[in-house]
This record gives sequence, structure tokens and C-alpha cells, in this order.
Amino acid sequence: MSMNFSEFKKLIGADPWNRDSETLRARHSAPEFEKAANDAETFERKLQSALHIEMPADLLKDIKKISHQPAQRRNWMPLALAASLVIAVGAVSMVWKQSHQWDSVEAYLADHYAHDGAAVLGHSSDNISEQDLAEMTGKIMASLNASAGQQLTGRIKFIKFCPTPEGRGAHMVVNTDQGPMTIIFMPGTQVTDGEMVEFDQMHAFMVDLEHGSAAIIGRRSQPVESLETLVRNSLKTGMVET
Amino acid sequence: MTSDTDKTRRFNELAEAYSTDLYRYAMWICHNDALAKDLVQETFLRAWRALDSLKDVGAAKSWLITILRREYARTFERKVPKFTDVEKVVVVDDDELAPDERLERDLLRRGIMKLDAKYRDPLLLQVVFGHSCAEISEQLGISKSAVMTQLFRAREKLKVQMQRDGVTGNVHELF
Repeated sequence: MSMNFSEFKKLIGADPWNRDSETLRARHSAPEFEKAANDAETFERKLQSALHIEMPADLLKDIKKISHQPAQRRNWMPLALAASLVIAVGAVSMVWKQSHQWDSVEAYLADHYAHDGAAVLGHSSDNISEQDLAEMTGKIMASLNASAGQQLTGRIKFIKFCPTPEGRGAHMVVNTDQGPMTIIFMPGTQVTDGEMVEFDQMHAFMVDLEHGSAAIIGRRSQPVESLETLVRNSLKTGMVET
Repeated sequence: MTSDTDKTRRFNELAEAYSTDLYRYAMWICHNDALAKDLVQETFLRAWRALDSLKDVGAAKSWLITILRREYARTFERKVPKFTDVEKVVVVDDDELAPDERLERDLLRRGIMKLDAKYRDPLLLQVVFGHSCAEISEQLGISKSAVMTQLFRAREKLKVQMQRDGVTGNVHELF
């Protein structure tokens, strides 16, 4: 029993490169079948071209870095011991917890900001209502066992999950009078409170929170520390997930 | 040591073989470059941790897609808005396209972004990853006939959308 034209069109519409014997037989059975198959293949080439996006050059390199991390999570260095080592050695500017990928929080911030910090800084939330953005902020923060107060939420123009030295965190871009600045919330990472970290053309003010920490990042001309009170008052951490 | 080196080699081979297609897939489901990169990195992070459980290298592609889809559903799908910055990334052979071909491609991309997930997902698995209908059926947990129907309808919807946008000149509103 040979395929009728309608069946043939449905088949090649679902699987344009189908080359089984029955399909080929049908294709060669009449000119309209041949034309339909050719049209389907032409459309398919356009579809492939439309879907063909280049991967960013640095992504493969970033992925391969994953294999440099230890297989098992290392234990946290007790903070007091870490702090004393910092003082004794005098070579490290920040207390940090051992991480999978980064040698220090500075290295993490530099690496993460280089990855997409500048790119997301320019993101516009014009196509998202304030309500949707606030709702999304609430959901992301809740999943991190935290919340952002109204004052902070009202300034957020972009938010997404991001990796941190210890698990998942949140990457926010907030509006300020001095232009957009970035806040990275790191729920599992402890830092030296009030420390200023510099990397590339940026600097970051570190805020240690009850649970976790935040880095306020801006250009060196931006007064990143001016957001400290907002962050400290608005970022509530260690909430019980409901 | 040998085992660690071997694991790293296997991981790097997977990354080289599949990262591009996974990024492409991620980009088309979340429409945002930064999020797509995060999603792919998170996928490979999980893959690295669970690499010892992958016994059949031939199953690696489906395994990675499953990890990515789960990760997307778990953390991204309901919590992240649909940004639309596909236009900011590079499309292969962009410069080689004639203006009318570029217009068609842009209309198609717009149509793909508008497709419901039930049509978009099998289409991406077929076109981006080269999955057969049987493989898509297994990946998505739906029957092969349902896959065939959704693939057919996906293409029909794209054609209708292209015609509609082309006729009404909506190309200026792209993305």
C-alpha cells in the first residue's frame, strides 16, 4: 500500500531528511511528491541556518576549567584559623572559604565579572514589568534561603542565578544615582566585612552577612560602599525555606 | 592519578563534542546569552560530578541534554524572564546571506522564539542535535507518533508565522 500525498507531506514535514525505502519510493512516484520533498529540504536548510548560533569563544575554556576542581568538596577552613593565617602571611587580603574553582573570592569575582558582568550590566528590564521583576527577585532569593527587602527590590533592574565559590548565588544589577552597579549575593561564602577588593578596572566592597555575604561591584569611580547600608538592611539571609 | 587524568580526558572530549550544541539549545530555550552560558556550565559541572556513572559513551549526548533540561526546569524556567537577546549572538555565515535570505532567517528566528515548548523542544532536538524521531521520543518520554505530529506542526507553525510576518512587514519589530 503506497503513501498518498497527504501522508507523504506529513512524513517529510516531520522528518525532511527521511531516506527510508518507502519514503524514497513515494518521492519518486510523481512530480508533486518530488517537489514537496525538495521544498521541505529547502525549508530545512533555512531552519538549520536560523538555529545555527556560534558558541562564545570563552565558554569551552570555562567548561574545561571545571575538571580542574577536586572531585570531593574540601572542608571549610575554620574562619579564625584562616584569619590568623591571613594576618601571619600578610599576602591575602580576604578571608575566604576553600572553593571548587577559585583560589580566593577576589579570583572568583574577577573571573565571574569577566564572564558576564559587563554584559548583564547593560541589560534592560524594559520588557519586564516591575511586578514581574519583583516576583522573580522574590523567587530567586527564596530559593537561596534569603529575601531582598522592598528598597533593594525596587532598584533591581536585572537578576539571575550565578555560581559562587560555594554553590549557587544571585547576580543583581541595581540602579543608583552613579549608574548601574552589580551586587553578587553569595549565600555560602564568608568574607572579611568592609574589605575593598580590586580587579581589572573594577572594585568591590565586601559585606559579610548573617549567612553568607555580598559583593557590591562597580567601576573604580563609583562609590560602591554607598550601597552597604541598603544591602545590609535589605538582604535577609538564612530564612527557613517554606 | 591515571584515573583522574582519564576522567579529565573524557570530560574534555564531552565538552568539545557537545558544548556548542548544548549552548545553542540553551540559547533557544532561554533566549539569553548569559543565562545560556550559565545553564551549559551548570550542566557540565553536574556532568563532571557524575561522570563515573556514565558507562556508555554513546549515551553521552542524551545524558547531557537530560541534565540540561532538568537544570533548566529546576532553576530557570519559572524564575527567569524570557529575555530576547538572540540577535546579539553570532549566526554562522551571517555575512554570506543575501538581504532577502537574512530577512527570511530573521523571520524564522522570530517564529522559533514564539513556538510553544511542546513544538520547540522536539524541533530543537531534531535540528540542533540531529536526534531521530525515536531518540526524541525517548528523550521527551512521549510516543513516536506524538513526536512526528509535533515536528510536523512545529514546521507548519513556523511557515504560517513567516508568511504572516512577511506579509505584514513586522520584520522591523524583530526581537
